[in-house]
Amino acid sequence: MAKLQELMKLSGHQDRVWCVAWNPTGTLLASCGGDKIIRIWGKEGDKWVCKSILAEGHQRTIRSVGWSPCGNYLASASFDATTNIWSRKEGEFECIASLEGHENEVKAVSWAPTGLLLATCSRDKSVWIWEVTEDEEYECASVISSHTQDVKYAVWHPTREMLASCSYDNTIKLFKEEIDDWTCCNTLESHTSTVWKISFDQTGHRIVSCSDDKTLKIWQEYLPGNPEGIDTIGKESAWKCVCTLSGYHNRVIYDVDWSHSNGLIVSACGDECIRVFREEEISDKNQPSFSLVCTQNRAHSQDVNSVAWNPKEPGLLASGSDDGDVKLWEVVLD
Amino acid sequence: MASNFSGALQLTDLNDFITPSQECVKPVKIDRKPGKVAKIRIEDDGSYMEVAESGEEKKLQKAQITLNDCLACSGCITSAESVLITQQSQEELYNVLQENLRLQQASEVDKKKLVVVSISPQSRASLATKYQLSPQEAHHKLTGFFKKLGVHHVFDTSFSRNFSLLESCREFVRRYYESETNKTALPMLASSCPGWICYAEKTHGSYILPYISSTKSPQQIMGSLVKDYFAAKQGQTPDLIYHVTVMPCYDKKLEASRQDFYSDLYRTRDVDCVITTGEVEKMLEKENVTLGQVEGNTAYCVLSGFGSPDGGLGSHLGGGSGGYLEHVMRYAVSQIHGSSVDSLQYKTLRNQDFQEVTVEIEGKRPLKMALAYGFRNIQNIVQKIKRGKMTYDFVEIMACPSGCANGGGQIRPMEGQTNNELLQRVKESYDSVPCVQPDLWPGVKDIYEEWLGGVDTEKARAMLHTQYHGVEKVASALNIQW
Repeated sequence: MAKLQELMKLSGHQDRVWCVAWNPTGTLLASCGGDKIIRIWGKEGDKWVCKSILAEGHQRTIRSVGWSPCGNYLASASFDATTNIWSRKEGEFECIASLEGHENEVKAVSWAPTGLLLATCSRDKSVWIWEVTEDEEYECASVISSHTQDVKYAVWHPTREMLASCSYDNTIKLFKEEIDDWTCCNTLESHTSTVWKISFDQTGHRIVSCSDDKTLKIWQEYLPGNPEGIDTIGKESAWKCVCTLSGYHNRVIYDVDWSHSNGLIVSACGDECIRVFREEEISDKNQPSFSLVCTQNRAHSQDVNSVAWNPKEPGLLASGSDDGDVKLWEVVLD
Repeated sequence: MASNFSGALQLTDLNDFITPSQECVKPVKIDRKPGKVAKIRIEDDGSYMEVAESGEEKKLQKAQITLNDCLACSGCITSAESVLITQQSQEELYNVLQENLRLQQASEVDKKKLVVVSISPQSRASLATKYQLSPQEAHHKLTGFFKKLGVHHVFDTSFSRNFSLLESCREFVRRYYESETNKTALPMLASSCPGWICYAEKTHGSYILPYISSTKSPQQIMGSLVKDYFAAKQGQTPDLIYHVTVMPCYDKKLEASRQDFYSDLYRTRDVDCVITTGEVEKMLEKENVTLGQVEGNTAYCVLSGFGSPDGGLGSHLGGGSGGYLEHVMRYAVSQIHGSSVDSLQYKTLRNQDFQEVTVEIEGKRPLKMALAYGFRNIQNIVQKIKRGKMTYDFVEIMACPSGCANGGGQIRPMEGQTNNELLQRVKESYDSVPCVQPDLWPGVKDIYEEWLGGVDTEKARAMLHTQYHGVEKVASALNIQW
């Protein structure tokens, strides 16, 4: 049987851990949470230790952190309505900018693959796009009011200049830059409750989403003129839900991450479990089947809020929980 | 309920799906009467009956929330919309007109209201486009339409915009010289957009309000002209005039409801009711006519916005949002640098809604001004001011992308028409009206003298300027959410 092997427990946070995020080279892990502190973990010998503590940047809970594609910047999104940008020089972090504008809690922050754009989303129902200017100023390029409720997460497409977000309004929305501003080009509807998180696969033609409705859903992109004959409008692709994984999770699913190195999907659930899924070897693109590889019961002693695959070491996984711990796991396949 | 307010205003809301009755934090004053506790019974129709021990029944009053309560509160804002719909709509205008008719029949003519409608040039352009008329035709036909309904006078806010532009220009030059000693004198931020004002008051309070121009918007100067100047001319008290404006924007309803524009003495507002362009379209539908079918009325009045004595319409340079930058820049170049410019070069920056104009006169400090429309561009201006990195002397700020011609109250595109296509046509219509310098409009100089006693008098300050009030955020348990 495949299983998750616990490698290490990283203790230090004094409150719940909301988010864990690997840097692009997989050598550093950032974690944040209710204690308003960001911890940076790195490997010393064969042990992971806390290398830096970024404190006093925010007045309230830090909900999420995200690394720039170059790995030299870390962005942190907080319930204090601001997003901070931290610059890493010679191992030291310095807060170089604080992005203000959201009316209330910022829920997530994400860098575009070019590193020139940043997206934030908030309980104020808006998604903001920020442009990094030549002199490292961050200017607001767009305020998108497309969702009708709290926006939980926003993430960029892995290769194209396209943004995806998900919300308490049960939808996933995709955004592109039109003539003069960013507009919603697709709304993905199928979940029956809050969509907490979304993750693109390596190709960017698929999205996995997780929800308060206790399901994971796989969405497939159909380009205009697709051989399957799926209707598209103009130059826009159509996105269809091609698979729903239900019956596996007992409570709300807070996080999901699609590995870009081995294609495994990992989920973080309010039932304290971490689950890993894999697409069957013989699987129709239009009706794919995914199977449960393993369930780690009691992965944490409380809700698991965040899971993230290491981008360079296939099978290495980090998790963060309400119990205040960050854990590292190795997937051992049979 | 979908909100009609500008994006900037919608953002200041927390939960617009909760109606005031559920979330409103306004404390209601209760007049407690001594005596025993009575029972309260809920009737089938939802009303509350107080039942005293004696068996005597009394219907209890509902708690009333006025728009002003909403504006003075840091709680929800879009809930204010349902309050607005009842207080400011075409229905209210119909009610007043019907009441006038009833009074006429009851021979109580002295209680009749003098009804005045002031139409904005942006609304006129939207209606002219919809009904394929020239702005001039649209103006005559709208005058005819409203007069037939029983309205007494139809004016145009282009006329009051002359005053708004002239005052803005003078205010800028004054602030320019003050800026040596007063750090908040520059940049001066335009004040005619109520969506922007409301956002600034609710979100940015004391650190941004001092930069906002004190000059009233064209709507509110028209309010002063109608309720003060025109009322005196007619020998009427302001409360006997019912003043309606037709605006491209829902946020203008909020502006008209501000306490600053209310007369305690006469218990009346400078603008009693604001109806949007789209609501005028609904009135035409209700009367079962298209604007083209209406008989035009060419009555001439100085307040009707004719830019030339022969009765031709007039407009202002600088685009569909009023041309504040255009006028302030030209005036500043002439007054501060003693020079002049033929035409201003607008340089598009990040997007079409963010443009800057720089005028450099040799040996003088360059004058730098910008247009910033739409919420995203407002953000960058506000944040730059906050961080002390602002390099503009004046910013024409409007909450709507593309400015006022694209206001949320304008007529919607027809089926198969994109908003952009429609907007282009509305702008063409708007721009087809010849531009006249504000101080050269017939009547402007005379009214400054006759009404205000000249420029910069106490009366001019009272009639043409206003003030802003930061709204303190109140932490309410009801606002906190995970």
